[in-house]
Amino acid sequence: MDLNLISIISHVLATTAFSQLTLGHVVMILVAFVLIYLAIWKKFEPLLLLPIGFGCLLANIPMSLMTSTDEGGLLAFFYQGVKHEVLPPIIFLGVGALTDFGPLLANPMTLLLGAAAQIGVYTTLIGAVMIGFNMQEASAIGIIGGADGPTSIFIATKLAPHLLAPIAVAAYSYMSLVPLIQPPIMRFLTTEEERKIKMAQLKPISQTVKIVFPVIVTVVCCLMLPGVTPLLGMLMLGNLFRESGVTARLHETAETHLINIVTILLALAVGSSMTAESFLRLETIKIIVLGLLAFTFATAGGVLFGRLMCKLSGGKVNPLIGSAGVSAVPMAARVSQKVGAEEEPSNFLLMHAMGPNVAGVIGSAVAAGVFISLFGSPGPETHAAIEPIVQAISQP
Amino acid sequence: MSADTLAAVYVSVISMSIIFLVLSILIVTIKVLDKFIPYKAPPPPPAKKTRPAAAPAQDHETEEHVAAIATALTTALGRSPAEINIVRIDRI
Repeated sequence: MDLNLISIISHVLATTAFSQLTLGHVVMILVAFVLIYLAIWKKFEPLLLLPIGFGCLLANIPMSLMTSTDEGGLLAFFYQGVKHEVLPPIIFLGVGALTDFGPLLANPMTLLLGAAAQIGVYTTLIGAVMIGFNMQEASAIGIIGGADGPTSIFIATKLAPHLLAPIAVAAYSYMSLVPLIQPPIMRFLTTEEERKIKMAQLKPISQTVKIVFPVIVTVVCCLMLPGVTPLLGMLMLGNLFRESGVTARLHETAETHLINIVTILLALAVGSSMTAESFLRLETIKIIVLGLLAFTFATAGGVLFGRLMCKLSGGKVNPLIGSAGVSAVPMAARVSQKVGAEEEPSNFLLMHAMGPNVAGVIGSAVAAGVFISLFGSPGPETHAAIEPIVQAISQP
Repeated sequence: MSADTLAAVYVSVISMSIIFLVLSILIVTIKVLDKFIPYKAPPPPPAKKTRPAAAPAQDHETEEHVAAIATALTTALGRSPAEINIVRIDRI
């Protein structure tokens, strides 16, 4: 090897990432900066957008082997948890451990608000099909309207893995924008008198009912829609840890350390999938627009159904709690409280809105289950994690 | 309306029906559970005996309490034990 000064310098320069830097990388690094800025300075879902943004930054440094597809790379290893549908269910375990179903059990009719808000999923599905996405892709985009990050990632991984990055970013970005998106829609669709309605105090619920509920949801929903068992099963297990009163250590771990660790892994993995090839496409802009449509229709669906319940109950239900049916726990419930208190400062809607809020989590999981039933692989399939092993065994 | 759009509409109608069906089943289940397992208020806690305020640290047990409280305070406040002087403990 001829080691003169020029050749050494040129060799060193060739081994820097600058030599491979493309316009696509530069644009994606700027996108990463925007996500990091929104997370830190605008406080938009910082727990998620910060690691997603930083994962995006790492993935777009050429030669770093940090994209989700770089075999042997660190983030490709984390991405296996997304690809094999491991991380979203574990997040749901933590969400279940954090969630109090008490307000929902005290007023079970609010489950209908969680169902009504899923209209956003389906209007977006129709819109996505109309602008050229196939049914699987449209389903994955539509579930953004469920305002549930892990569910969006779960469905995107299953039905449209090539759209995972824009779907995840759209879902989490709009979830963080719930306080900006929802209030104008809520005010537009309700009257001043309706917004001032005070709801009766929620009745207390037996602890036994709180313990039995997650088991029953698991049996009913998972028997009807087995495809959603990883998500819903973990959600309900986490809640059972919470309510059973005999697994304090597991409950504490699930709601703190476990969900935090898995959030880091999941968000970095999603960020690592944000390469120029997967993100800088016309589809991304379409998904961003459709995501906004999904949130808008979901909010409108919940509020309008809230108005219907208000009429049918003789004015006992404040329709503002309907907007919380989009899930986005607990931010959507806080928005209901805020908009209600603006109209009548002595009105406390937060606990009432928590009912449809957690119903929205169940509703979006059920919507995901329906999509998996309709568009997932038919019949019992080999789980992706053990597929190579099965193939190796089956080879003669 | 194209065939794909029509299919999307069918999927949406059927899916919404399934969601309402599943959640309606849960509503009925909750109502049944609530009927058969009603909430029972827990028995009121026994009345607490009011204790007189402790005298300044005299006996061995109180000295241990003072040491424990001082340690907790110094740890929480990040100060030296020399800076904290407990002169009285009131039992609540």
